[in-house]
Amino acid sequence: MPEMTYREAVRDALWQAMRRDPDVFIMGEDIAEMGGSMGVTQGMLAEFGPERVRNTPISEAAIVGTGMGAAIMGMRPVVEVMYEDFLTLAMEQLVNQAAKHRYMSGGQVKVPLTVRTQGGAGWSPGAQHAQQLEAWFVHVPGLKVVLASTPSDARGLLFSAIYDDNPVIFFEHRSLYPIREEVASELEPVPLGQARVHRQGQDVTVIATGRLVHEALKAAEQAEREGISVEVVDPRTLQPLDEETLLASVRKTSRCVVAHEAVTRMGFGAEVAALVQEKAFDWLDAPIERVGALFTPIPFAPVMERFVVPFAEDVLAAVRRTVARSA
Amino acid sequence: MARVEPRSRRGLSLEELRDFYREMLLIRRFEEKVEELFRAGELPGFLHVSIGQEAVAVGVCKAMAEGDVFASTHRAHAHTLARGSPPHAVMAELYGKVEGVSRGYGGSMHLYDVARGNLGANAVVGGGLPLIAGAALAFKLRSEPRVAVAFFGDGATNIGTFHETLNLAQLWRLPAVFVCENNRYAESTPAHQELPIEDLTKRAVAYGMRSTSVYGQDVEAVYVAARRALDYARSGKGPVFLVCETYRLAGHYVGDPQVYRPKGEVQELRQSQDPLSKTRPKLHLSEQELSAMEEEVRGIVEASVEFARAATEHRPEDALENVYA
Amino acid sequence: MATAVKLPRLGQGMESGTVVRWLKQEGERVERGEPLFEVDTEKATQEVEAEAAGVLLKIVVREGEVPVGTVLAYIGEPGEAVPEPEAPSGDGRREEAVPSERVSPGGAVAAPAERAPGERVKASPLARRLARERGIDLSLLTGTGPEGRIVAEDVERAARALEVAPAPAPPPTEVERVPLTSVRRTIARRLTEAWQVPVFQLETAADMGRVLALIERRRQLEPGLHLTVTDVLVKACAVALCRHPEVNVQLAEDALLRFPSAHIGIAVATERGLVVPVVRAAERLTLAEIASVRGDLVERARAGKLRREELEGGTFSLSNLGMYGVDRFTAVLNPPQAAILAVGRIEERPVVRGGEVVARPMMTLTATFDHRAIDGAPAARFLETVREVLEEPGLAL
Repeated sequence: MPEMTYREAVRDALWQAMRRDPDVFIMGEDIAEMGGSMGVTQGMLAEFGPERVRNTPISEAAIVGTGMGAAIMGMRPVVEVMYEDFLTLAMEQLVNQAAKHRYMSGGQVKVPLTVRTQGGAGWSPGAQHAQQLEAWFVHVPGLKVVLASTPSDARGLLFSAIYDDNPVIFFEHRSLYPIREEVASELEPVPLGQARVHRQGQDVTVIATGRLVHEALKAAEQAEREGISVEVVDPRTLQPLDEETLLASVRKTSRCVVAHEAVTRMGFGAEVAALVQEKAFDWLDAPIERVGALFTPIPFAPVMERFVVPFAEDVLAAVRRTVARSA
Repeated sequence: MARVEPRSRRGLSLEELRDFYREMLLIRRFEEKVEELFRAGELPGFLHVSIGQEAVAVGVCKAMAEGDVFASTHRAHAHTLARGSPPHAVMAELYGKVEGVSRGYGGSMHLYDVARGNLGANAVVGGGLPLIAGAALAFKLRSEPRVAVAFFGDGATNIGTFHETLNLAQLWRLPAVFVCENNRYAESTPAHQELPIEDLTKRAVAYGMRSTSVYGQDVEAVYVAARRALDYARSGKGPVFLVCETYRLAGHYVGDPQVYRPKGEVQELRQSQDPLSKTRPKLHLSEQELSAMEEEVRGIVEASVEFARAATEHRPEDALENVYA
Repeated sequence: MATAVKLPRLGQGMESGTVVRWLKQEGERVERGEPLFEVDTEKATQEVEAEAAGVLLKIVVREGEVPVGTVLAYIGEPGEAVPEPEAPSGDGRREEAVPSERVSPGGAVAAPAERAPGERVKASPLARRLARERGIDLSLLTGTGPEGRIVAEDVERAARALEVAPAPAPPPTEVERVPLTSVRRTIARRLTEAWQVPVFQLETAADMGRVLALIERRRQLEPGLHLTVTDVLVKACAVALCRHPEVNVQLAEDALLRFPSAHIGIAVATERGLVVPVVRAAERLTLAEIASVRGDLVERARAGKLRREELEGGTFSLSNLGMYGVDRFTAVLNPPQAAILAVGRIEERPVVRGGEVVARPMMTLTATFDHRAIDGAPAARFLETVREVLEEPGLAL
């Protein structure tokens, strides 16, 4: 099986969708000649031409809204918002428009729009280029939200997102672009709403998203050496959410840690924790632990940034707390 | 450039003009009935009527071709009716019934009729403009000879999506017409408090867009100007900004006491700027014929109310449908 | 530091008990293991021994019904201060009061947790569910989780400990609380339960001549032995039950429990009401042993001093009203047992022997069976065996 980087995997999904379907096109800031600020769309202009690989002005509301309009007319646009921090500029179009046209029209329209974006800390971009804002969008009925954490997931999920008839916000994590994973030689779509169990375990379930999946896997290895068997589950899509897989895992292990890079307060983990207590209360043997960023903007100085966002050791500490052990 | 379009040299046939008048009359009587029903507590939500602006709706919508699409605003009854949505389905929507144009999911501010090109009335000022650029982009990418039309008011020319969309539409030469209904009030705020320029066509000039204005109380003039704009956009030359200078002969919303308007302004404007009064003399219809038309239109409006009242109530749990495709 | 004397749980399902009287007075010296007070539970009145040595500093609850775990008194060194009684509303003072009571080390699985009365048991949801499913009382456990929380592992450990303990056969069923004395309450509940059981009765009469002769002979041989007709009946029933295991049964929720041993309950009238202490594995006991066990049980039953487990686990009951001159009667089942034998007095009755009417010391045996668990034919065979054993005790015993 071939190996791909996360970046290549995202590109491959776009490439394959555009090759098979003239209704798929991409647009965003700096995506054509430059190939995107993260290099994801490199080479696509040459392959598909400027009509289908469209550089846009710096106009996030118009980028998202225009993509939505084309989607309502039956196309399958994939628009790129350079940093998820900039989704704030398109918030009205996402929340009031894309999420609601189907509903307000009583089902007359479909909005097969995919909004790709990326973000995350770890490289000192400061407070306006490193946030993780996915939870905001899970709060909006009508939107679907995907967080891909590995190359094969990114490839399969993005392809599914493009062919989903609803607006999907597809979050990539900057620090993951270079990571590699074996992928199927033929692109295998990953259905939205299907979690991935990365690692089986008996004692604690860590429900992690994005970069924290990898941190959780590191933490699980260390925990294993300490005699704690950790299961790592990545929901992959936050909306729709594969509740059954998450709950089945917690019912097996009786302990749950939720982990994401986003700020803990009101983060997606809070929703998972609520879900678990609601539907697996009688299986819980310890309070649900949450791992996330501290309640500050992301700081610039590397030493402060590392302090604020969570890493494997934070997951490990939470795992230990659930089994009532100290380091 | 900014100038009031003179009466079209091409003109309209008497038949067409009578048809346009009848359409405006239907909208007027429909909205008067809506005001009455709302005041009587029969309609939920809140409502915005376009009394005084009927000529813009009818002129532009009649100029659109089969396959053209549009996005409306919170003040959407006129556009929706002018584009041919049945009055009873529009009325049923105002009652929140299953038979409504938006199946009862939208309401007055979210009238949709996709089959007739109505991509939705938008209750966020300026919210529908990017959508129209997107629809136009789809037409362009698919090489379809269709045009997308955005309705919005003078207030919307101050919001970011307006500028982002006009910039993008002109940049990409999209087949779109942006119809600005300048009724001189952004909700309650008069033009001089919200617009640093008087001539709104300058807004689009900044983007290099073809920009014209038309006297919006003359349905024939509006029709001709819209027709030209649509033809221009359809020909692939790019979008057009069309300012319709009009007057709101009612409040921002039904029940608006309009304390912000000079005393007597509405009364005076109703005398001087009513698009119905202005068109009536051109119809060459006898009092009897006008009465007959009046009676017919009132009958349609009454029937729409009867229909809406008797239409199907939703089950509460229907709320859970249509969230996702 | 003073040690709190708390109302212990004296059996499964016990939620409260009534302090009847104190056997020591305030200021009196108490040794560890010495009887300290009497408590009336729903099954019996029993003495509770001191778990610490010292001086009985203060009696908090002189008498009356209190929940299990309630602090009843303090034992400590003379002059030592005792904690103030807790505010019932549980304001901030509770937090301060609790640590002062943490005097005895926890740890042992079955040791009652050091917990203030009424204090919420801190347990994980999973631990609560497991405890519910396995019938384990969380308040008896000491949590090993963070902040002393009882976690699933604690419950599982306790469950394993219960399994290896010499368990009384069937767990008693839950009791509906009614304002009655404990014993009367139990009687009412059990008889009501029994009344809902579809039963049938079989009756026969046994010639007790040889039993009476046997008793007489044993008394002559062992003057100190108080062998009675009841003892012989216990033995006869045990022998018959072992020969007819299909009668030595109980109906459980989804199974028929067939017991390998005959635990015979004996109905004993006491001042507090009827109690039914159990003679365990009666088939393995000699008549003398039965007499001895029965004598002890009856005596303590009348004194209200039976231990709870001595009242539990019977598989069959015997009720003898012969000493009251009753000819015959039918007894009500003692659930969850499926059979009970009611015996009347022994009297000379005319019977036909070899074609002639003769007077014989006859006794009527009336057995009641739970028809859900026992069919008529095996029941009849069982009763026949009882009669045969009584008429030919030499062959059987």
